[in-house]
Amino acid sequence: MSPAPPAPSLRRPPLLRSGAAFLIGAALLLGGCGAPATPPAPAKARFVFSMQTEPTTLNFVTGTDGASVQVERLLSDFLVDHDRTLAIVPRLAESWDWSADRRTLTFHLRPGVRFHDGRPLTSDDVLFTYERLVDPKSKAVGRMDGFLPVERVTAPDPATVVVAYREPYAPALRTWEIPILPAHRYRGVDFDTAPENRAPIGAGPFRFGAWEPGRRIVLEANDDYWGGRPAIDEFVFQIQPSLDTSLLALLAGETDYCKLTATAWGSRRDDPAFRSRYRVITFTPLFYYYIAWRGDGSNPFFADPRVRRALGFALDREGYIRSVLHGLGAPVPSPFAPLLHAPALAGAGTADAAVPAAAALFDPGRAARLLDEAGWTVDRRTGLRMRGGRPFRFTLLVFAGGEDHVQFAQVAQDALRQIGVEMRVERLDWPALLSRLKGGQFEAALSGFSPTPDPDSLYGLLHSSQIGGGQNYAAYRDPEVDHWLEEGRRAQDPAGREAIYRRIEARLVAAQPYTTLFAPAVVGALNTRFEGGEPSPLGLLGHVPGVLALHPAPGGR
Amino acid sequence: MGGYAVRRLLLAGPTLLGISLLSFMILSVLPGDPIAARSEGAPVSAEVEARLRAELHLDRPALLRYADWLASAARGDLGRSLRDGRPVAGILSAALPWTILLNAAALAAIYGLALPLGLLQARRPRSPWARLAGAGLVVVSVVPSFVAALLLQALLSVRLGWLPLEGTGDVAGGPMSAGLSLPAHLVLPALCLALAAWGFATRYARGAFAAAIPATDLAAARARGLRGWGLLRHFAPSLALPLVWLLGGLLPSLLAGSVVVEEAFSWPGLGRLMIQAVLGRDIPVAMALLLLSGTAVLAAQLLVDLLYPALDPRLRDLRPEPSPERG
Repeated sequence: MSPAPPAPSLRRPPLLRSGAAFLIGAALLLGGCGAPATPPAPAKARFVFSMQTEPTTLNFVTGTDGASVQVERLLSDFLVDHDRTLAIVPRLAESWDWSADRRTLTFHLRPGVRFHDGRPLTSDDVLFTYERLVDPKSKAVGRMDGFLPVERVTAPDPATVVVAYREPYAPALRTWEIPILPAHRYRGVDFDTAPENRAPIGAGPFRFGAWEPGRRIVLEANDDYWGGRPAIDEFVFQIQPSLDTSLLALLAGETDYCKLTATAWGSRRDDPAFRSRYRVITFTPLFYYYIAWRGDGSNPFFADPRVRRALGFALDREGYIRSVLHGLGAPVPSPFAPLLHAPALAGAGTADAAVPAAAALFDPGRAARLLDEAGWTVDRRTGLRMRGGRPFRFTLLVFAGGEDHVQFAQVAQDALRQIGVEMRVERLDWPALLSRLKGGQFEAALSGFSPTPDPDSLYGLLHSSQIGGGQNYAAYRDPEVDHWLEEGRRAQDPAGREAIYRRIEARLVAAQPYTTLFAPAVVGALNTRFEGGEPSPLGLLGHVPGVLALHPAPGGR
Repeated sequence: MGGYAVRRLLLAGPTLLGISLLSFMILSVLPGDPIAARSEGAPVSAEVEARLRAELHLDRPALLRYADWLASAARGDLGRSLRDGRPVAGILSAALPWTILLNAAALAAIYGLALPLGLLQARRPRSPWARLAGAGLVVVSVVPSFVAALLLQALLSVRLGWLPLEGTGDVAGGPMSAGLSLPAHLVLPALCLALAAWGFATRYARGAFAAAIPATDLAAARARGLRGWGLLRHFAPSLALPLVWLLGGLLPSLLAGSVVVEEAFSWPGLGRLMIQAVLGRDIPVAMALLLLSGTAVLAAQLLVDLLYPALDPRLRDLRPEPSPERG
């Protein structure tokens, strides 16, 4: 899919951070030991979810940032959705079928679904939503791309939506994981300022209650939900920009779920009092860090695949995960690894001979040999590797707002010095980093990537048509890989598709235009007043049943 | 006097114009654009990006975009947020009362403590209380405000349960609709904001007291039988001047400090808005905020300048008046 969603960060000068670390620790400890007893559960089941960024808008088309989508999916069901294993499941569309040539996709809408204002949801609403999505005026940045291959969408009757594609498009179904707008509310009003953008009407399990800007968004259970009324009566998104404050609020019983920082997790995982009051929710999102090596010859280092692989072998991902992340994460051996090797997604979840095991990813000896082979030999005087009188000295761009980005870059800096390579680190804020990446104005860059569950989401990173302006930041160009990617996009049977992507993966491990690093895990704490609710790679709420599985613990603790 | 005020007001126009041009240019040369900022976690192909660029007029030169912005701003239209399409004026007016409230409370806290302590230190510099207070304020003012926030939250809210941890309490329609829960929610953030300034303000107040009330004058006033409030009233005119000046010095640093404090206490004010706007390259919102703070600083300066002569009769005649016919 795309580069790192800038992780919600605590924007503080690092020097202050480290200097004040013990004070923070003291504060959190203080907060922990004397926490008052959880107040008695009110008659109304109220679940308070701590969120660090405020949604930009609750317009289902333009609100494409993570926070907005999180709220939207409770207010509006999606047309189709995915379960915990990320397999596609029907929602507002009860079923669908494909034409024999795989160019026409027909959705059959679930009968009897109504918006919160009582109006029935029909194919007209789906059509209207689609039209707004692809209209550049809507500026629906995040969702437009998946609809580029669509030729047209029609609604032959109120319960049917027909999508015609220009050519077979394997990831098609997943692009329809979208909430549906009530057309009758939006027609004829200014799309950007419609009152519904701040007080939306959907067809989902929760109705909109209130949005207090900068503070909270309150949703109420929808008695008339087609899937049955949720067990939570009131769902509150509490906006708490600081994760430290968020943890204190959880300990004070003001919230029921919050994300933990690695530090907070490290200091609490063995605390029995904490573990008995909170259920720990862990998941590894579909997200990993990578380094893009600009390989178009604009620098003397990274056009050579041996150099790219060598630097990859010099990085100790497991060591970083162990020492900095308190074990919360997993090394990622290839860009496709989370998609092809996760048991839930791959047919058999088998290991692949072409992809090194996690333990074999770190091999400084091999890194040194590869660099020697590539002609970068150690200069006795400086200890730095040289080739043709030029020292191996390059600059890595990193996202300054991401703790992992910055910390891993520092660790990598030390590791590379060990093998005679000097790396400088340049920190940038997100828009600046992205514009340097897109413009190709860099030597190497550390960033993050969130693929969708479909392997086609790597098309942008790898296809040569996406060099310059697109997401192929490394300027990776391999006509065969291009061809396979196009084939994978058209291929129809899942086994055949998987074979194609495994072929691409093997090629990538050897060429390594991107060195994949690791996937950080997310840990959250959920008050044991509530039961049910299991995470998927998309979080506690980001799947079906998600929030619908949450219910107050019996006995109202 | 009146002529002076008018001249200052007339000068404020070009100053703000300069601020706006400079701000716009700085925001425009920052690498990255709203589309990059907006694409968080989502795919944007070159094709889609080009369409959006045209839609947001980002393909036009910065100077032309500034002219457009200026023309609309002159008509009172500050444009719409690039982030969520809402009118900028509405976004600002929702957050502004919260920031004013927080800063007013912090100022009250600063003056409330700095004046008595300053007086104490000026009158009895060798007393153990004065020394203790001085040392305490030094310690307090070096603690970064986010750490102070965490400590206060952990102690006073979570552990002792005396004060609300964060947020503003249940208020639907802004600070004015709040009942008694708002003052309670205001205590900790205002305290944190005040912490950093207390040391400076107290030392300043001590200096002001010492200079304004020489020991001989005090003895003379006492000899005339003045005590307590009477004493204070007697010296008030000479104290007012430096204390008003202190306000002008504190305001900009308070506005800057509220960025951190608003984040720690989930306070829905302008500080968080500013971070979002700059990181998101949301130029219309950032412009409006910069203009607003520019206006606030100019207004504070003007106020202080106008209050000076009102408070100190000596300054009324010293005002430079270049008109020769009055000479």
